[in-house]
Amino acid sequence: MTPMKWFYSFLKPYRPRILLGLILVTFLAALAIVNPIVSGMVVDDVIQGGAYDRLPALLAVLLLVTAVRSVLRFFVPYNFEVCSQGVLYRMRDAVYRKLLLEDFAFYDRNRTGDLMSRQTGDMDAVRHFVANIISSIYENILYLCFALIMVFTINTKLAISMICLFPFTILLTFVQFRHIKPAFHKIRTHFSSLNAFAQENISGNRVVKAFAKEDYEKEKFDRENDGYRDAELGASEIWSRYVPVFEFFSNILTVVLMLYGGLMAIRGELTLGNLVTVNGYLWMLNMPLRMAGWFVNDTQRFITSVEKIYATYSAEPEIRRPQHALERKYLQGGVEFRNVSYRAQDRDILENVSFTARPGQTIGILGPTGSGKSTIMNLLCRFRDPAEGEVLVDGVNVRDMDLYDLRDNIGIAMQDVFLFSDTIEGNIAYGRPDCPFEKVKKAAIAADANHFIQAMPDGYDTIVGERGVGLSGGQKQRISLARALLKDPAILILDDTTSAVDMETESYIQTQLKNLEGAHTIFIIAYRISSLKDADQILVLDHGRIAERGTHEELLRNGGYYARVYDHQYHRKGDPSHYGTQ
Amino acid sequence: MARNKYDIDEVIEERFDLGQLRRLGRYLIPYKKDMAAAAFLMLSASALTMLIPRFFMTLMNDLIPNRDVRGLFLYSFYTLLIILYSALALRLKIQITNRVGQNVIHTLRSDLFCHLQELPFSYYDERPHGKIQVRLVNYVNNLSDLLSNGLLNTITDLCSLIFIILFMLSINVELTLMCMCGLPVLAAFAALIKRRQHRAWQIQSNKQSNLNAYIAESINGIRVTQAFVREEENRGIFNRLSDSYRQAWMHAVRFNFMMGPTVDVISAVTTAFLYVMIVNMTMGGDAASVGVLVAFTGYISRFWSPITTLANFYNSLLTAISYLERIFETIDEPVAVQDAPDAVPLPAVTGRVDFSHVSFSYEEGVRTLSDVSFTAMPGESFAIVGPTGAGKTTIVNLLSRFYNVESGTITIDGHDISKATLRSLRTQMGVMMQDSFIFSGTVMDNIRYGNRTATDEEVIRAAKTVCAHDFIMQMENGYETQVNERGSRLSAGQRQLISFARALLADPKILILDEATSSIDTETEIVLQQGLNELLKGRTSFIIAHRLSTIQNCTRILYVDKGQIQESGSHEELLAQKGAYYRLYMSQYETA
Repeated sequence: MTPMKWFYSFLKPYRPRILLGLILVTFLAALAIVNPIVSGMVVDDVIQGGAYDRLPALLAVLLLVTAVRSVLRFFVPYNFEVCSQGVLYRMRDAVYRKLLLEDFAFYDRNRTGDLMSRQTGDMDAVRHFVANIISSIYENILYLCFALIMVFTINTKLAISMICLFPFTILLTFVQFRHIKPAFHKIRTHFSSLNAFAQENISGNRVVKAFAKEDYEKEKFDRENDGYRDAELGASEIWSRYVPVFEFFSNILTVVLMLYGGLMAIRGELTLGNLVTVNGYLWMLNMPLRMAGWFVNDTQRFITSVEKIYATYSAEPEIRRPQHALERKYLQGGVEFRNVSYRAQDRDILENVSFTARPGQTIGILGPTGSGKSTIMNLLCRFRDPAEGEVLVDGVNVRDMDLYDLRDNIGIAMQDVFLFSDTIEGNIAYGRPDCPFEKVKKAAIAADANHFIQAMPDGYDTIVGERGVGLSGGQKQRISLARALLKDPAILILDDTTSAVDMETESYIQTQLKNLEGAHTIFIIAYRISSLKDADQILVLDHGRIAERGTHEELLRNGGYYARVYDHQYHRKGDPSHYGTQ
Repeated sequence: MARNKYDIDEVIEERFDLGQLRRLGRYLIPYKKDMAAAAFLMLSASALTMLIPRFFMTLMNDLIPNRDVRGLFLYSFYTLLIILYSALALRLKIQITNRVGQNVIHTLRSDLFCHLQELPFSYYDERPHGKIQVRLVNYVNNLSDLLSNGLLNTITDLCSLIFIILFMLSINVELTLMCMCGLPVLAAFAALIKRRQHRAWQIQSNKQSNLNAYIAESINGIRVTQAFVREEENRGIFNRLSDSYRQAWMHAVRFNFMMGPTVDVISAVTTAFLYVMIVNMTMGGDAASVGVLVAFTGYISRFWSPITTLANFYNSLLTAISYLERIFETIDEPVAVQDAPDAVPLPAVTGRVDFSHVSFSYEEGVRTLSDVSFTAMPGESFAIVGPTGAGKTTIVNLLSRFYNVESGTITIDGHDISKATLRSLRTQMGVMMQDSFIFSGTVMDNIRYGNRTATDEEVIRAAKTVCAHDFIMQMENGYETQVNERGSRLSAGQRQLISFARALLADPKILILDEATSSIDTETEIVLQQGLNELLKGRTSFIIAHRLSTIQNCTRILYVDKGQIQESGSHEELLAQKGAYYRLYMSQYETA
């Protein structure tokens, strides 16, 4: 599919409306000719000719035509606006839907601000085209054809001599169309980049201030701001070369009429009256030729934007819902990794990882920063697909499962806590927007969050800022945990979820997790031994491989990484009881 | 102020204020000469073009009847010269107006951005970031048309309108006044719908802002959305916002579309009246006056066509005002934390920090810190511990003067920080926050953010100190590897190490680590500790951590709870006290 065909698929439902609009434009154009004729009659027949009795009738026509025209002049643009907003609404929806389907790899590649530009600035170029340009182009073609026919009926030679100028204009249209394209492309790219920069600066405002880098940011911003302005000016520099030429060619028609028409009149091939009539139609020929340059601009602007939007839209996610997915609404929570490897940028992130978790078991995962712990969870949720091996849930390869069923059965509290600018209740109930408040509160209690939430002025109705600003790290983690718990999932993943909470809170949370109703397979990724030691099985990851596995006691006996970490966290600091006696 | 979210409209000022336009006009002042030049070009071109109909008259009345071929060529040549001139003038006009328009937008955006850099955290915390962004990028862009073409066309249209009125007056005063009777009617109509039209565009800009905020959040939070299978629900919300944007747009354009037809109707009615008057006058008049009246009729339509353009300009003004209000509102947003008028740069400090009776609240009536006092000597390292939400981060935020204290004073080396310039204060501090923000760019750039003059070697040394060197080297392009703004290619621990290196490279006298190592594994942390101990020498440091292993080397520990310092002393002293710190410390082992 080409970008234009894609665009057309949105326009299609509005074909009848656009057609109606164009018919009315035709009608309007015809009416536009009536009033000058009526005025001419008033001047010629009534004022100069003295046919005073005809005045009321002529004025009635004048007012009636104006009334009809006024209604149409309101309705026609409104009608096109309805079409353009309709096209836009559907287009935004399609792009948004696609964004929801895109996988993590896509979001790794694209900056937020760039993606936003597709939904805002680029959409606006489409709006402008559908709302204004389609009908304008049509109207001008209409005038051109009408005026040409009139000139032809008056004098063929004159008409042909005028037509002789058209190829220049048409040629120029094509030349400008091609010439201007890279300039508009550049504008869109700079717009996108400016947007991305602004987005990042706003998101990172804390870091900017902490490092007192305001001046540096201003400098970078100036570059973006300059870049965008210069791109705009670059484009206008190009079209400022074409538009006057169009203007010139359109005005040449006047010269042709004066010279050639005048000569013919002298030779008696044309009457003076004919010359006046043609002169009266001249604006209809002039205008389309003059406007051509602007239309080229707007059309190319529109095409560039559609191409940009389509490029984003047409990026196909690698992770898709399988065509014939197995229907599994409720999973038991058995997880098996079979020789799973994962690579990114030619680097092995996971190598030959195998383990089994039976429903209801708790699996602890420990390992150095960047050893692949979160990747295991991303594979389990099928945010990414393994390069080799299989990830099975309840004995079924996750690739064969319906993506939504799979994820719906997994509750994950991620390492990066992302909260939405919504109420706390809305954030906790994110996975189950319709659930009753009691369940929200229950989840918050289990995550030890109820306490501090209720201490807030608006309690659960407190709106938290984007990314949870205003909350401490530990508070955010607990809200994110409550959010995962609320789903009551078969598989619960806690990815470094309690790193920023104090020990008492952590042990409270652990007790709550043990007391969860029903069987839950729980994965706990943590650096603290205290978070992991009660797990049924503990995996120690190192450089993407499982280096050790077993229970707390087994691993301590092993004397490997786990035991070392344990030593660091508990023994090397000395037996705490020493301090009791000091 | 309550926080705003994507589906809450921002408060809008009801009043319609022309001051906004005057203020925009001030941005045009530096371009007075350009504007004058462009106006001259346009007016001269249109004055010359007005000659063409006269040439045509000459053609009809003299040249053709007299078979004057030479004259015909001559006049055609004149016409050619005129259209060449107007083409040239058009090119210059396009260049000038675009330059002026884009430069004004550039300046306006720059002013807005610079002001945004001064605004405190609270401004960013109170509203979705997409709503700030839409002002900086989209709203400002929306003014471009108005500035580049609209204004100049209006000036020339106004000029030609004045010319035409003068011409008409010279022909017949009575008829001219009659013709102008339509104008108050038009003005009355515009005034009648103005409030609603203005309001409609304000609402439209709000809906645009809401939609933008939601798009931004949807993209940033996509992982959570996918993990929680919220796609359908979010699509519903998105479409709801998208639809209210559409509705608001349709509602607002309706008012704009009313202007053109209204001008039409008024012009037709006045024209009809004029014809009646003219006919009455001619019925008893002489031939000479008939010719004059015929000439007059020729100007009636010329009178109304600039008014139609002016009406369109009026529409775009009303539209633009709704964006301008938002832009200027942001530029006028008071800067809560700013340099005092008599602020002096903080000299190079040794790092002595004094908090004396400091109290603070984020929201009125809810005390976050009350009466906090302590002294940190140069080179001391302070640990701040306590339950979540106790006010630990607030203490360090006040020290960096991200917020102003409510009462009490904070001094560094005896200088009250509220009297020092922010720049001099913050450049001497290194802060590493809970959220480690990564900018899109290379790893090198991200670390160098702390100190732009640092050499590559210094960056690498900082990375080595914080144990980030090894994993960076494992990435495909090492330090030149591109990371994106969410840093999604890096694990949380790796991001923390990078922002750690960033803070170190700034070589601050006062170092603040706010849960800087919560996502770093124990082994790395131990290695990190050794480097860190070396680094803490000669710096005053404040370390917030939950893992007590991180802070055991600190010279002093503050146990904070309920916004107050409950205990303070060395690790050993506090354990001996057997208070809250002791209980906290023991709890780390009880669970083992």
